Amino acid sequence: MSQERDESRRRPSWMAGIKPRHALAEVDPLPLLKLDAVVKTYRDPMTLKPFTAVDGVSLTLERGEIFGLLGPNGAGKTSTIKMILGLTRPSRGTILIEGRDPWDPDARRKLGYLPENPCFYDHLSAVEYLDLVGSLFGIRAETRRARSQALLQRLGLGAHARKPLRKFSKGMTQRVGVAQALLNEPNFLVLDEPMSGLDPIGRSEVKQILREERERGTTILMSSHVLAETESLCDRVAILHGGRVLEVGSVKGLLSSGVVEWEIGLESLTPDRALALRAQGHRADSVGTRWVVRVGSESALQSVLGELVRAGIKIGSVEPRRESLEEHFVRALGARREGSL
Amino acid sequence: MTRTLAIAQNTLREVARERVVLVLALFGLMLLMGSQVLSPLALGEGRKVVIDFGLAGSSFLATILCVFLGSSLLHKELERRTVYAVLAKPIRREEFLLGKFLGLWVTAAMLLGGMAVILLAVVTVAYHDTPWQILGAVGLNLVELGIVTAVVVFFSSFTTPALTAFFAVAATVAGHFAEDLRYFASQGTPGIRAMVEAAYWMLPHLDLFNARGLVVHGASVGVERLLYAFSYGLLYVIGMLILAGTIFRRREFR
Repeated sequence: MSQERDESRRRPSWMAGIKPRHALAEVDPLPLLKLDAVVKTYRDPMTLKPFTAVDGVSLTLERGEIFGLLGPNGAGKTSTIKMILGLTRPSRGTILIEGRDPWDPDARRKLGYLPENPCFYDHLSAVEYLDLVGSLFGIRAETRRARSQALLQRLGLGAHARKPLRKFSKGMTQRVGVAQALLNEPNFLVLDEPMSGLDPIGRSEVKQILREERERGTTILMSSHVLAETESLCDRVAILHGGRVLEVGSVKGLLSSGVVEWEIGLESLTPDRALALRAQGHRADSVGTRWVVRVGSESALQSVLGELVRAGIKIGSVEPRRESLEEHFVRALGARREGSL
Repeated sequence: MTRTLAIAQNTLREVARERVVLVLALFGLMLLMGSQVLSPLALGEGRKVVIDFGLAGSSFLATILCVFLGSSLLHKELERRTVYAVLAKPIRREEFLLGKFLGLWVTAAMLLGGMAVILLAVVTVAYHDTPWQILGAVGLNLVELGIVTAVVVFFSSFTTPALTAFFAVAATVAGHFAEDLRYFASQGTPGIRAMVEAAYWMLPHLDLFNARGLVVHGASVGVERLLYAFSYGLLYVIGMLILAGTIFRRREFR
C-alpha cells in the first residue's frame, strides 16, 4: 500500500490515468502456453498424400496447473507435443510459450521434457547424461553435479549413477527421463506418457514428484493412456480425437454431471427382497455382512428408498457413484463415432 | 558455444567408446611398426618408406573413421530418438550439428595425432633423426579431415548412412583428383566442360593437402602453402556446415 502511495507521489498528474508497467503485468500475465487454431499436416513420403495429424487445436494452459492430453492412438497428442517443443512446425496456427515461438531456444530454457518411451545415449552413465543435459541448459558445473545427485537419489537411482544407461531397465530409463526433465528446475513440464514402464511403486513416486512440482508452481502438460492416474493428478484435461479437441475442461467439471448410479448401503436384506429388487432391474449384492443396492436414476432411488423404509429395513448410507474419467472418455469417443456415422 | 562443446564432447565420447576405434588404432600401430619390415627392401631408402607409409596409413585410417562412423552418427540419433530429448533443450539445430562435426573431427584428429607421434618415435629410434617436417603434412591432413568430416555431416543431414558413406567416399576420392578433372574438362565439348567445371568447383580440392611427397624428401611445407590450404579448408568447411545447418533446420522430427 505504502509503495503505491510513493509511486503516485512520484508520478506527474497527467499520468494519473495510466497504469504503471508492473501493474499491467500483474493484471494481464501471458499464458504459459497458448495454441491457436494449430494445424499439422504431414505428407506421405511415398505417395505425397497429405495427412492431417492435428486439426485446429486451440488450448491455453494456465500457470501452476496439471493439464492432461487424452486420446486414443493417432489422436494427435504426440504431434501436438512435438510442435510445442519445436521439433516440428505447425502447418497453420500459432503456438506461444510465454509469448515466444517454441522454435526460439529461449522459449525452451525453463521447459522440461520427458519423451514417450525415452531412449538416451547408452554409451553414457546416468551422471554423464545429466551432466550433458545440464550443459545444454547452461547450468554451472557444480550446480549441475549437485542437482544430478539429488535427483538421482530422489528417484531411487543413487546406487546406479555410474552404471552405463544401456544396462538400465525400462523403468530405470523412465526415471532417468524424469530426472533430466527436472534438472533445469523447469516452470513448464511436458511429459509424454510419464507412467509408461513404471511399476506401481515407481508410478506412485512419479505422481508424488509431479504433485510436488505443481506445489512449486510448475505447469505440467502430460499425455497419458492411464486414465485413472490422469484423473487423480490433472486439474484440467482435453480429449483429442482425429486431431481435434472433443472436450476440454476441469476434471471435476467434466465428471460432475455424470452420476452413473446410486449406491444404497444396507445392514441386512432378506433374499426375497433382494430378488424383488433385481426383478425391478436394480442390482443387489451382498458385500461381507452388508448389502449394496445399486439403482440407475434419481427417481428409481426415491422409489426404492420408500419401499425399503416401508419394509422397515435400516438404511446405512446413500451415495452417488460418479462417472470415472475412463468412462467419460469412452462415452465421449463413442458419441463422436456415432455422430460421424 | 557451451552447448556446442557439450554436444562435441558427447560425440567424442560416443565415437571413442566404439570398439572399432580401438581396432583402427591397433591397426595403425601395427602398420607403423610393420613399415619397418619393408624398409630393408627399399635399398637405403627405408626412412622415406617408413614416413611415406606411415603418413598415408594414418591419413587413410582417420578418413575411414570419419566416413564410416560419421555417416551413421546422425541417423542413429534420429532412429533411436535420442535427438528428441536433446533438441527440446535450449539449443539451436545448427549448434547441435556443429557439435557433432567438432566431436567427430576431434576424434579423428586424435587418432591421426596419436599415429603421428608414434611415427615420429619410430623414425627417431630407427634412424636417430626426428623428422619434424612431417608435422606440416599432419597439419594439412588435419584440415583435410575437417573437410571430409564436414562433407559427411552435410550428407548425413538429409540422407541415409549408406548413401552418406557412398557420397563421402566419392567426394574424397574425386577430391584428390580435382586438378585432373579440370584437365579432362578442357578436353571435352562445351556442355561437358561446363558440367565438369561445375563439379571441379564443388568438389573439395584435397590434393592441396597432400604434402607427403615433400616431407618424404626432407623438405618442409612452406608457410604460404599452409596458409592457403588452411584458408581454403576453413572456407570449405564453413560452406558445407552452413548448407548442412540450413537443411537440418528445416527437417521435421515426426
